[in-house]
Amino acid sequence: MLLIEQLVKRHGSRTVLDRIGFEARPGRVTAFLGPNGAGKSSTLRILLGLDRADGGRALVGGRPYRSLRDPLRTVGSMLDGSGAHRSRTARDHLAWVARSNGIPRRRIGEVLEQVGLADAGRVRVGRYSLGMGQRLGLAAALLGRPEALVLDEPVNGLDPEGIRWIRGLLRGHADGGGTVLLSSHLMSEVAGIADDLVVVSGGRIAAAGTLDEVTAGYASLEDAFFALTGREPGLEPGREPGREQGAAR
Amino acid sequence: MSFWNTFTAELRKAGTLPASWVAVAVTLFGSAGVTVLNAVAARTALDSGAQESQGFFSAFETAYAAVPLGTVGAVVLGVVVMSSEYAANSTDAGGGRQVTATLAASPRRAVLLAAKALTVVLFVGLTAAATIPACIGVARLVIGSGPPETVGLDDALVRSVGATLYWALTGLIALAITTLARSGIIPLVVLIANSSVVSFSLLLTHVTPLAHWLPDLAGRRLFVGLPTVDGGLDAGPGALVMGAWTFALLAVAGIVFSRRDA
Repeated sequence: MLLIEQLVKRHGSRTVLDRIGFEARPGRVTAFLGPNGAGKSSTLRILLGLDRADGGRALVGGRPYRSLRDPLRTVGSMLDGSGAHRSRTARDHLAWVARSNGIPRRRIGEVLEQVGLADAGRVRVGRYSLGMGQRLGLAAALLGRPEALVLDEPVNGLDPEGIRWIRGLLRGHADGGGTVLLSSHLMSEVAGIADDLVVVSGGRIAAAGTLDEVTAGYASLEDAFFALTGREPGLEPGREPGREQGAAR
Repeated sequence: MSFWNTFTAELRKAGTLPASWVAVAVTLFGSAGVTVLNAVAARTALDSGAQESQGFFSAFETAYAAVPLGTVGAVVLGVVVMSSEYAANSTDAGGGRQVTATLAASPRRAVLLAAKALTVVLFVGLTAAATIPACIGVARLVIGSGPPETVGLDDALVRSVGATLYWALTGLIALAITTLARSGIIPLVVLIANSSVVSFSLLLTHVTPLAHWLPDLAGRRLFVGLPTVDGGLDAGPGALVMGAWTFALLAVAGIVFSRRDA
């Protein structure tokens, strides 16, 4: 459903993405893991048509995002929180988002209910907490009943109850045949949700495969993560080429 | 239809942005306020037995003299429609910007900019349709009984359309510049100062007559019949030159907007 191939992105002389490639498949939750600055957001921004790649391609159902008609009906996304202007209410925000993709208005109430913001729909977004902003971002992502969800750090700012809730939501979406791609730098949150892992470090894929494949030989996902991204104290920074496998392309 | 969806979404966005209504209010009440001042002066002159000269007691002329002020409102509208996309949310709420959500919803950027431009034109047009008649009404009320109106309906309509066109083109220029700047502050300061406090273009005419071809000066005779500096273009050619500037700036903004990273 979501296919990233040989993606290259440079900012000046700095290579932010160095031939990133992986796939997020229907029915599965794919977690895109890496330290801050590893290239997770850059990859997702290119996938969603926000930034341009200097090489490679990112496709949604075989097509570039920018060529999708009413894209929110195919891919629901959240980057940098809700994306709502602070002087608008949540309802007003969702109303324009729905209108832009011809989504029926009744969905606004439904998604607000679904994310637990039914009582805060008429509150200005500027008064929202981080967790409420994340929930509003999810509401916007769910608005068009999309097949795929692309979420950048969705558990950021959520309380334990919220984290538990979002796990259920994403699991349910994947079990219903949907595709979920989420990025995170929090191992423990991801371990409970993900079917497939893509570990990125320094703009390169460090490992990819199912949760079991990537963590094989390590005591925990956290150990695997630090070993793979070369962040473990005492380990030389760098990747272990031998561990590239699975869905990596 | 894709454009229709994008356009109606942009209309809804502008309508639910408090800053848009501040712009409308500034235009409406600012122009009405100046009209009251002008009208009181006319009434006083009339009471002291002054003779009519150059339509000084015409309600339309009194109101129309206040209309150039409305340009400020058009600038604010043109700016906020785009600058609101780039305003960062509080860090408490993730610090994101709306442009991410906008481009995810409407990834065809040329279509998006066109929808925003049409939104600005519609808002400015409706604001003018409310402001100009309201000012005429205020002027009539304050001046009260006096000599009959010297400006015919046809003439009044043409001049009102001219003023509206000037507002709309200025709003679009503000939109184009804000798109390029990705922030509202610089365009707001420069354009409001230029259209209310001191006109940089006007100062430039002392240096070179070419300054008469700058958009704001080229179009100034769209305020038909208002006193202005000598020289430069007539209303028709001036409107064409100002329109060409607007189109060119929007085209450049569209190309840059389409190509750069959000």
